[in-house]
Amino acid sequence: MKVINFNNHKFQISKEGILFWFDKQIAIIADLHLEKGSSFGPSGQFLPPYDSEETLKKILNTIKDHKIKKIILLGDTFHDKNAISRMSKKVTILFRSLIEKYEVIFILGNHESKFEIGQINFLNEYVINDIHFIHEALQTSVFQISGHFHPVATVKSNIKKITAKCLLHTNNHIILPSFGQYTGGLNITNPVLKPFLNNESKIYMLTKKSIYKFTNKEIEI
Amino acid sequence: MSDILKIEPIDNWLKKNNWSFYNHQVETVKLSENGFDVLLVAPTGGGKTLAGFLPSLKDLINNKSEKNKLHTLYISPLKALTIDVHRNLTSPIEDQGLDISVETRTGDTSAYKKNRQKILPPHMLMTTPESLALLLSNKESKDYFKDLKYLIIDEIHVLVNSKRGDLLSLNLSRIQSISPDCKRIGLSATVKNKETVLKFLTSKNKAKILNVKETSFPKIEILETKTRVPWSGHMASYAIEDIYQKIQKSSLTIVFVNTRAQAELVFNKLWQENDNNLRIAIHHGSLEKEIRRKVENLMSLGKIDCVVATSSLDLGIDWGDVDLVIQIGSPKGISRFLQRIGRSNHKFDEPSNAILVPSNRFEYLECLSAIHSIQNKLLDETREKKGSLDVLAQHVLGVACSEPFQVDDLYNQVINAWPYRNLTKTKFLEVVEFVKNGGYSLKHYEQYSKIGLNKDKLYAINNKSVRNRYKLNVGTIVESYMLKVKLGNKTLGQVEEWFIQGLNEGDTFLFGGRVLEYQSISNNNIIVKSTSHTHPKIPSYAGGRLPLSTELSIEVRKLLSKKQFWKNFPNQINEWLKLQSKFSNLPSLNGLLVETFPRLMSGKKRFFLICYTFEGRNANQTLGFLMSKKMLRIGYKPISFVATDYALAIWSMNEVKDVNSVLNEDLMLDDLYEWLEETPLLKKNFRDAAIISGLIERSIPGQKKTGKQVLFNSDLIFNVLKKHEPKHLLLEVAREDSYRGLIDLDRLSEFLKRIEKNITHKKLDRISPLAVPLILEINRQTIDKSEMEEYFLEELENEMLSEVGLN
Repeated sequence: MKVINFNNHKFQISKEGILFWFDKQIAIIADLHLEKGSSFGPSGQFLPPYDSEETLKKILNTIKDHKIKKIILLGDTFHDKNAISRMSKKVTILFRSLIEKYEVIFILGNHESKFEIGQINFLNEYVINDIHFIHEALQTSVFQISGHFHPVATVKSNIKKITAKCLLHTNNHIILPSFGQYTGGLNITNPVLKPFLNNESKIYMLTKKSIYKFTNKEIEI
Repeated sequence: MSDILKIEPIDNWLKKNNWSFYNHQVETVKLSENGFDVLLVAPTGGGKTLAGFLPSLKDLINNKSEKNKLHTLYISPLKALTIDVHRNLTSPIEDQGLDISVETRTGDTSAYKKNRQKILPPHMLMTTPESLALLLSNKESKDYFKDLKYLIIDEIHVLVNSKRGDLLSLNLSRIQSISPDCKRIGLSATVKNKETVLKFLTSKNKAKILNVKETSFPKIEILETKTRVPWSGHMASYAIEDIYQKIQKSSLTIVFVNTRAQAELVFNKLWQENDNNLRIAIHHGSLEKEIRRKVENLMSLGKIDCVVATSSLDLGIDWGDVDLVIQIGSPKGISRFLQRIGRSNHKFDEPSNAILVPSNRFEYLECLSAIHSIQNKLLDETREKKGSLDVLAQHVLGVACSEPFQVDDLYNQVINAWPYRNLTKTKFLEVVEFVKNGGYSLKHYEQYSKIGLNKDKLYAINNKSVRNRYKLNVGTIVESYMLKVKLGNKTLGQVEEWFIQGLNEGDTFLFGGRVLEYQSISNNNIIVKSTSHTHPKIPSYAGGRLPLSTELSIEVRKLLSKKQFWKNFPNQINEWLKLQSKFSNLPSLNGLLVETFPRLMSGKKRFFLICYTFEGRNANQTLGFLMSKKMLRIGYKPISFVATDYALAIWSMNEVKDVNSVLNEDLMLDDLYEWLEETPLLKKNFRDAAIISGLIERSIPGQKKTGKQVLFNSDLIFNVLKKHEPKHLLLEVAREDSYRGLIDLDRLSEFLKRIEKNITHKKLDRISPLAVPLILEINRQTIDKSEMEEYFLEELENEMLSEVGLN
């Protein structure tokens, strides 16, 4: 894990892509996109229907060793409004055990619709100690922790280019990488991420083994 | 002779042109009339295509076939070939005022024309395997093909033992069930395994091979140049002046190259040399089809002096009177080279002229071997491949699109196709399950099944959209994601997405023979502008590299091992080899030479290990992966390796002191399976299989998806599937394709056995002459992606930390 100081609070990012706020016993996770795999089913593309199982197990396994009470899901938890109805029995059990073991805060994402997914109460934002938890970062000066963009970064050596999921930390912003098993990525060189990047930005690239910290300059633009 | 055939209008047409029939043309008609399916094996220029059409023409002329009934189907692997053959066939038909309609149908045919052809078919239709699959998936296909009398398959040898061939073979079997009496004629270039090609053509016992012997031998030489053959590279820039002079002396030259990058560069250089304003054109697969058609037309009108082309001009097209073929770089295979040579002097009984231009030193040896092989009539052997299950999945869906099927009937039809003759019923049912709903043990997609049993207990598609989606996904060629190159409103052609990812705004590159400046990407188009720069910043883009055939590899090894052959080598090559033998050693015929030496790479000391195997790129690549794995375990910290057709170079952080420890036979057996599971190759093959089988669609209507994302996602799917269903059909396909694509593992195993106790390890203090081309070779492969990333990232981070004084 690497420590990130944000608005005078201490956060830690795990290589799996979960942001911990241990002082508050909170785990923050973005973009699970549950049942993304099965969402292609109606159009006749039968992707292996095991992504939600993988995603949920990974969350449970990563946080079980830590003292966590609350989980904040930063939106796009479900890939679409029918995601819950497509869940297999196994996935339903895993999902239930997650919301029963922990207090889960659901932030509303653009893939979700407030009134249509199960009994879930979606919030547009959630605030603790002046830190706003939202789905998509806003260009304001309040401290925000968000997801939405699925950031990935590329570093270039003289041998090859390497692309990996990353967490972005710029001034008042933390943007989390997507956590879902079938989620793709948006390179941080993409113009839509430009407002959230400057020379002060820190980029934490996540690999299977470890986390590597870079500054914006070192990233391939 | 011609009156034997009794096809008056054709006889007249021949007489008028002062031509007469060849023996094999007459034989083909006779055999076909006696109810035989015929495989005609002949060198190019032997009137092969006409021979294929004669039985059908005779039948149409003498038996006045009804209008608007499909009588003859002609299938060729190349779109361009259908157009060419169409033109050649139209000439006698129009000349004699025959009432025979001939049309083409390919991916380029307009929707209007396609619809019209569906309702009012011509007598003769010329098409490709993919377009045939599409035609057969129509609801009316049974009716459409029921009167078919003749089926002609051109260049059939290129289709055998490929996924495209699998698809065609399945559809041939389907046609046979619709019109059992339809006669088949296969046209093939000279190949080693004719019997297999015949089996592929037809399952009937009444079938014969007609073999036409060559009457003339090609004149082939290696280009003599004023400048030296370079150490490495693939562009042959050193020889441009001499090539230009040869072009000048001939009336129409085709300059064949192996990659599009070579095509662009050679074209560009020839124009820089072009003081006499020769008309030089370029032709490759990435160029917009209008541009290609234009070049082809100019060729046939004799309005061009030279065309620089890739394999896009390889096959039997007869564009004008080519009198010289120049091959730049090694042809990489004997059969391919013969085919290319055949482009010149497209006349049966006159020798073809060809000049080989090696682009580097190893290629010089290779070119000599190619000439040697042709003189000794050695041919490449293609290894037989069993029918792929991803292609079968595509076909099963196609059949269901055309009409409901009964499982046993379809199974019998499938095993009638040569590549699938040994398919078990169990496997077949597994494929049907896969088509239905993905074939997972978790029954998750029942409700969305693509096919299901109808009230008559037949499998049928569950809704019309399945057919529409099927049509978008037909075919077995999975290309990298392509972006259109736009200059103003004009589309110049396409390039792979990865190429453009390496470009920055303002970078210049060569495309379609001109220097373009990259501006931006918008809506999947690459916006470029013209520039006055003559030297592009990014030389060009690779793509389309051909692997060296096994037979040529062996020839090169022989040549190198026997010093008596060397007297024919030019001085520079001779010197190079002599210097090598003085400084290090020469590779022997049966042993293995291994060299190790330290060398700086990007400012860091690295240890290089070179194995001169001459076993071909695929074998070397596999060996490279396996050896790196072993080195990793021992702690040598391998960084990366380069595999060429001739040798393998691995570099590491630590010195490999005991070569035998990383090069013994058990290393394969231990690591192979485990290694394969982790290779990018398996992932790539999985992606292809997922697309061919229809698991992932090529294009999802209304959804913009870049190729990059598809690749990324298919990797994720791959990992999940491997974990949950390790025996899934598509993983099976991907594994099989990987084993085959890599090399026959037997060969590598043989190699390791052969060299055991016969390894010469030369410990050098610097690079050897023979290693120079390898070190210069820029193409780099990673060993183990994840390990590699860790090394590199750690290093880079440490570097930066010390830079800012934190380490």
